[in-house]
Amino acid sequence: MKKIFLILLVVSAAIYFSCSKSFLDRPSVGSLDSAVLANQRGVEQTLIGAYALLDGYAQSGPDGNTIGDFISGTSNWVYGDAAADNTHKGSDGTDQPNITFFEKHTQIPSNPFLNSKWVTIYEGVTRCNFVLKLMAQATDISDDDRKRIEGEARILRAFYHLEGKKIYNNIPFIDETMTSYSVPNANVLQSNTVDIWPRIEADAQYAYDNLPGTQIAPGRINKWGAGALLGKILIFQKKWSDARTVLLNVYGNGTNSSGVKYALYPRYQDNFDISFENGSESVFAFQSSSNDHSGAGNGNYGEVLNMPYNARPFTCCGFNQPSQDLVNSFKTDPATGLPDPDNFDTNPVTIDDGSASFTPYAGTLDPRLDWSVGRRGIPFLDWAVMEGTVWQRDAGYGGPYSPKKNIYRKAQQETYSDHDFWNSPSAISSLNINLIRFADVILWLAECEVEAGDLEQARVYVNMIRTRAADPVSYVYKYNDDAHPENGFSATPAANYKVGLYTAAWTDQAAARKAVHFERRLELSLEGHRFFDLVRWGEAEATINKYLTYEKTLRSYLSDAVFSSNQDEYMPIPQRQVDLSKGTLTQNPGY
Amino acid sequence: MSSIEKRKTLTKTLLIMKFTAILLLVFTVQISAKGFSQTISLSLKNVSLDKAFLEIEKQSGFSFVYGKEQLVQTRSVTLSVLSENIESVLDKLFKDQPLTYTITDKYISVKQKPAEVIAPKPVDITGKVVNDKGEPMVGVTVAVKGTKIATTTAEDGSFKIAAPNDNSVLVFTNVGFERMELPLNGKTSVVSVSMRTATSSLNEVIVTGYSSQRKKDITGAVSVVKVSDLLTTPSPNVTSQLQGRASGVTITNDNLPGNGAIVRIRGFASFSGQPGGNDPLYIIDGVPGDVSALNPADIESIQVLKDAASGSIYGARASNGVLIITTKRGRVGGAKVTYDAYYGNQDPGNGYTSQLLNPQGNADLVWMALKNSGQPLTHKVYGTGATPTLPDYTLAGIKTGVMEGDPAANPDLYDFSESKLADPAYTPYLIYKANKEGTDWWKVGTRNAPIMNHNLSVAGGTDKGRYLFSLNYFDQKSIVRYSFFKRYTARVNTEFTIKNNIRIGENLQVYATEKSIPGTNSDEGSLTGGGGQPIISVYSIKGDFAGSRGTGFSTGNILADEWRKRNDRNFKFTLFGNAYAEVDFLKHFTARTSFGGTKGNENEYHYPFIEYEIGEPQRNITYSEWFARTSSWTWTNQLSYKNSFGKHNIAALAGTEAVENKGRRVDAARSNFFSYTNYDYIVLNAGTASQSSSGSPYVSSSLFSIFGKIDYAFNDRYLASVTIRRDGSSRFGADTRYGTFPSASLGWRISEESFMKPIAWIKDLKIRGSYGSMGNQNIPPNNQYTFFSSGAGYSYYDVTGSNTSSQSGFYLGFAGNAAGKWETNVSSNIGFDATLFNGNTEVVFDIYKKDTKDLLYPVEQPATGGATPSVLPPFFNVGSMTNKGIDLAITQRGQFGGAKGVRFDATFTFTTFKNKITKITDGITFFDSNSPANEENRVGGRFTRNAVGQAINSFYGYKIIGFFEDDADVTKSPTQTDAAPGRFKYQDTDGDGAITDDDRVFFGNPNPKFTYGLNLNLAYKGFDLNAFFYGVQGKDAMNYNRWWTDFYAAFQGGKSNRALYDSWTPDHKNAKVAIQEVDGNFSTNNTVNDYLMENASFLRMKNLQLGYTVPQSVMSRFKIDRVRIYVQATNLFTVTKYTGLDPEIPSYDDRVSGVDLGTFPTVKQLLVGINVNF
Repeated sequence: MKKIFLILLVVSAAIYFSCSKSFLDRPSVGSLDSAVLANQRGVEQTLIGAYALLDGYAQSGPDGNTIGDFISGTSNWVYGDAAADNTHKGSDGTDQPNITFFEKHTQIPSNPFLNSKWVTIYEGVTRCNFVLKLMAQATDISDDDRKRIEGEARILRAFYHLEGKKIYNNIPFIDETMTSYSVPNANVLQSNTVDIWPRIEADAQYAYDNLPGTQIAPGRINKWGAGALLGKILIFQKKWSDARTVLLNVYGNGTNSSGVKYALYPRYQDNFDISFENGSESVFAFQSSSNDHSGAGNGNYGEVLNMPYNARPFTCCGFNQPSQDLVNSFKTDPATGLPDPDNFDTNPVTIDDGSASFTPYAGTLDPRLDWSVGRRGIPFLDWAVMEGTVWQRDAGYGGPYSPKKNIYRKAQQETYSDHDFWNSPSAISSLNINLIRFADVILWLAECEVEAGDLEQARVYVNMIRTRAADPVSYVYKYNDDAHPENGFSATPAANYKVGLYTAAWTDQAAARKAVHFERRLELSLEGHRFFDLVRWGEAEATINKYLTYEKTLRSYLSDAVFSSNQDEYMPIPQRQVDLSKGTLTQNPGY
Repeated sequence: MSSIEKRKTLTKTLLIMKFTAILLLVFTVQISAKGFSQTISLSLKNVSLDKAFLEIEKQSGFSFVYGKEQLVQTRSVTLSVLSENIESVLDKLFKDQPLTYTITDKYISVKQKPAEVIAPKPVDITGKVVNDKGEPMVGVTVAVKGTKIATTTAEDGSFKIAAPNDNSVLVFTNVGFERMELPLNGKTSVVSVSMRTATSSLNEVIVTGYSSQRKKDITGAVSVVKVSDLLTTPSPNVTSQLQGRASGVTITNDNLPGNGAIVRIRGFASFSGQPGGNDPLYIIDGVPGDVSALNPADIESIQVLKDAASGSIYGARASNGVLIITTKRGRVGGAKVTYDAYYGNQDPGNGYTSQLLNPQGNADLVWMALKNSGQPLTHKVYGTGATPTLPDYTLAGIKTGVMEGDPAANPDLYDFSESKLADPAYTPYLIYKANKEGTDWWKVGTRNAPIMNHNLSVAGGTDKGRYLFSLNYFDQKSIVRYSFFKRYTARVNTEFTIKNNIRIGENLQVYATEKSIPGTNSDEGSLTGGGGQPIISVYSIKGDFAGSRGTGFSTGNILADEWRKRNDRNFKFTLFGNAYAEVDFLKHFTARTSFGGTKGNENEYHYPFIEYEIGEPQRNITYSEWFARTSSWTWTNQLSYKNSFGKHNIAALAGTEAVENKGRRVDAARSNFFSYTNYDYIVLNAGTASQSSSGSPYVSSSLFSIFGKIDYAFNDRYLASVTIRRDGSSRFGADTRYGTFPSASLGWRISEESFMKPIAWIKDLKIRGSYGSMGNQNIPPNNQYTFFSSGAGYSYYDVTGSNTSSQSGFYLGFAGNAAGKWETNVSSNIGFDATLFNGNTEVVFDIYKKDTKDLLYPVEQPATGGATPSVLPPFFNVGSMTNKGIDLAITQRGQFGGAKGVRFDATFTFTTFKNKITKITDGITFFDSNSPANEENRVGGRFTRNAVGQAINSFYGYKIIGFFEDDADVTKSPTQTDAAPGRFKYQDTDGDGAITDDDRVFFGNPNPKFTYGLNLNLAYKGFDLNAFFYGVQGKDAMNYNRWWTDFYAAFQGGKSNRALYDSWTPDHKNAKVAIQEVDGNFSTNNTVNDYLMENASFLRMKNLQLGYTVPQSVMSRFKIDRVRIYVQATNLFTVTKYTGLDPEIPSYDDRVSGVDLGTFPTVKQLLVGINVNF
């Protein structure tokens, strides 16, 4: 008995004194610490992680957490188009009501989507910073590679900050000295009242100066992509002359990351077709992939609800319904083929009211309308003839139109639509989101010329864009057989298309400016730029309130919507972040 | 026996029991002192008698009681014995002395030998034991007092025992009966004994942490659950059965078959974002275990440790309370076989249907909303015109709202092939007839479902070895079609006694479950959410599923959902148990070692499916399957000491414990199958898309602890207890991983004091008080680490532009908090235990306060610090909260109508707690939680806010003060977004003339004011009746279902009668619901307001059971001891004003408790059952 007791005592003591230390050390599994990653392979893969946030979404990480959501998607369809005059939330009135507030300009700081976008932006910034931090610890990286890696990390960091700057205006700039491996981290409480343009610009400048012209993969940003983003950053600051210099270099000498000289695609629609991705017009794009075992986490998740609603041929959700105002803006003068930026809403393009006797609009139109907006009677890519209100969940609420630029071809569905997502066919696909395309660069140059140089040169640029739009290869054609879209397209244009060039010199800078600005709307509608353009031009209040006056006659829920200047130009800083910053973040004016 | 005699005997018995309670321990618990049972070896030569006494005291656990003067005439002793038992040694020792002895407990009293004493002769005693009804009792232990001589009664109650002499005292014990002592007083032949059902639980021995105590000695707050009452609730899970049975315990049922219940002891200790963060610790036979794996019929006892005095011995894991469960074990006696079974039906009832509009009503509501919104009167289904038209077909091809005769409805056009659905290019042509009478979607989705349970056990043993073997089969079909839960349990335990002082034994349980995965319990708009549009048929004209396809309605086809998931399965296999050894040594010590644990395997798979009948059909073409293996072990070593001297009674224990948990998991999934309906074909290998697989070990965790406890009693009335535990946990960083949890308690059995004696109606009264701390370590095991992770959807990127593959990348996966430490919960408790009025009334009352400090909470970090810590922050010790409450349990036993009349006992439990958050973190005073319904995407805000100064999980939003009467009212009222006549007018809380965020208030509290249970047992002759009521009072709930049904502008499912008949119109301003409009807005249903809040108080008859025990005379012919049959109804009625399916709203996540997602309701069950013993 005593022996047993003694044994017990000894065993207990042994456990206590010998194993307790190591017994209680339980390492984490399936993850690595920074020491293991501080080498070239680790740094390169951390850089991939920094690119991965370009879609504005990180789905269900190993720890079950998700960063961002469908409205933090990089296309900015809510902040860039719905908040402007291009599109409506869509679906029905109670589906995702938090988006409606942006459309009605009644957004409040506690709107959860604002926080979600903010978090996503700074997750991107953080990932860039960790690339730089790890690289500083690594010893096996050549100087050339260091420059390239730093260039890529910093241009991404510039991109993420620019996203925040556009949306919230007053944001802090977070660099690698402020990002740390520990929480809490006092360095992150940076004020948002400091002008961060120089920091963003410096990152882009570094990348422009140090990145190679040709990259090892088409999805990596090269010198010219960095240059284009630098140009954009300068344009946002109205540094027209500096912007002109860098953009001219991009325009004249730039190639995409594969070394292909920048040029407009011959056909407008190829910008929105998976088959033509990373071609000559692609300057900077989010590389979307599907069916890659990521659970649809690497696709264009921001577009997940932006597909027509109905049982045939689509089964999704009916969000992002283009406005009548946008549709009207594509009307052209039957004689000159030019748009009418002032009065396009009079005699609108025929609105589908669901009646059987609907007759399509017979007037002349810019064919870019029918690559941007799905409207009744027009072939919807290779899917079917669009059926107007029938394709909407609640046309009385959101109108009869559907978005189109984010939709892949039916022929691509099997391969490029993500199978891991819940709706069928999934709206998430391998279709890239264009962040900068060459048309953008050309139109920026046109702006630079209007503001800082030569109106005639601006007209040349605008006409480049219009020439392509005018080319019949950029038209939408009727199907050979409406019942069988798979049988191809006929030679009959689907509508009365006519696009003309600006043949006469613009009378003055104001006229030139109006034409250039309007051309940007037509060329880049539903690509997430419109609202930010209106704000930087100082045209937001006038344009949006004019739009609301017109559109509310069609969409009753907009009846009390109004854009308030000196407030609605920028989103409020998310209330949650203001709270968490313990007073470091200052709320934007008006909120 | 007259009642006066009975009372005398009872009092006497009680007194004897006080002195012999420790003896009882031997038979009832494993951990016990057995200091008097050793053999003795002596070699004495001419020593004085007192020296001999000393030597015997040294070797045995006995003390001699004598006066020095008694030894004057004694002789010196010469004695040599080898391993003889005490009595034999004493007999030899006293043989030639003028003295004799008696043994009482551990005391040997030395007395003068009576002159006439004659040498005792062994006698054979025979007798019979009966119960108070005169029926023979089988299996009663009969022992000779002070010896190891024991036997058990046979089936006819008879026994035969060899007593050392005719002055011996026989002791009769049986569980549930009062201990009896019968001095032979010279009798040598037949004795008859009548045992009485135990009426006082004071001497009940209660298993607490690592030890056991008599109930009357307990100074902490411990709820003792009456297990026999529990078993009347037909459930496979003891947590469900506990509802209303123990004060201080709040239980909410989860009615999905196989799921247990949510158990909260004394409110909430934590905000914990971890699932189970507020779950108590379950200790099964000394080992932490999975309570859902336990067959309730195997349970012998359950104790709930509620305060620090009782719980702190479990240290770091005790903060949410501890449930100590011991399972049944074999007893000395012949093999006893028990068979219990029941079979019954579960009735889903009528659900919501009576609240919902018929097809015409739904159509009228559309027109009402269109008119109110000034929209043209046209609709996809109901046509165009002044009044809506119910169509003959809801869908024909792509046309909706089709009338008979329309060419689109030509059945020849119908085209549907399930196998072609796999081709994304295929579009079926479906024709759905309208159901103008209305489809009752509740009836479609539910069914009457059988439930059955079979339980067989065999138990028995001798004084050298005891065994128990039990088998259980439980099979419950769900009220949701195709869904079920089956469980098979086998349990075996044995215990062997070796050399009288060593006991070795084990508990082993094997547990296998199979269940379907209906997956609709928390899905948005699932079983009940808004109901379905009644005009939609269940089937198409050709028998395929029909639904809302093309119509803009948001009605799913519940039957199709259930059918598609009918082959999804989850299998679980678990081994659980422990082995132990105990040894008694020296006088007062027992050492014990126990090694136990769990080994589990789990496998689950989900089949792909392609929906076609609805508007946003899912095309889930991925088959997924996972395997997981988990294991945990606990090794406990402890040493206990028990001693009494004079009026002092001491029990002490010290021990060490090590715990480890680990596991692995593999997930695999594959898409693209040739067929989605041939379930034998769909396996991982058959998919054509490349396979995805993932998996990793779980982060293991470990705990190492030392603990100790001292209980001291003086004069059986002054009680004190001190407990301490020191835990080291791997969940915390090296510098902070040790925590110490002390507690102390005092008790005063005031009724023992002479000044209380005159108060006759107070039989026993003990006042208790305790203070101490407990811990909570419930955070992820890797909380302390900072690490980089890699995840396909998270950090991969298609940098090569391949469109279908992505390159792997890393990101900062988690930024840990190495300084995290225990959450500590300091509790103080004052209470009393009273036995009143003839001992038939017992009252246990506690009042307590629990302060949780250093509350572990994942503190969201600014996104600028790296977004991962902002969405997945580590836990920090930041917040604090307080719970205060009262627990009360009253038991009343009695009898009326004479000795053969009706016997009854009634137990009333009352539980209340008041929770208040006192801190969240520096600078943050609240956080909001989105419920699983994801209401933020619908309502535009979260129902629940946790804020300083408020109760946990309170509802927060705008308070509705009425409707806007007219335009003039809008103008004169405070400015409110979307204000218009008929919409809700909100309270301008701050009086600033504008409705802003600042006007939101806390308008509801989902924590009940109190809960209560009343259990009644009545027995008359062979009949017994059990009735159990359970009630919840003062609980608020957000009835989210009404968001879907009461507002036209909330997706187009079936709408409620309220929406059409009791909504605001200029002619009906005294309405319940706001004006029905096409679009929702801030002033109706697009923000969180209190419209959805209801009082979810209820009183429910949980159980009514009528049993009949077949008379012994009938059954003994079949050699069957006992047969009882019963009929039973559960949940017969519920008294409530709540309009949802079930006021007992389960919450899967504490942070959103009280949000009603329309989950499985509690349903009526009718059962028949049988209990057989032979």
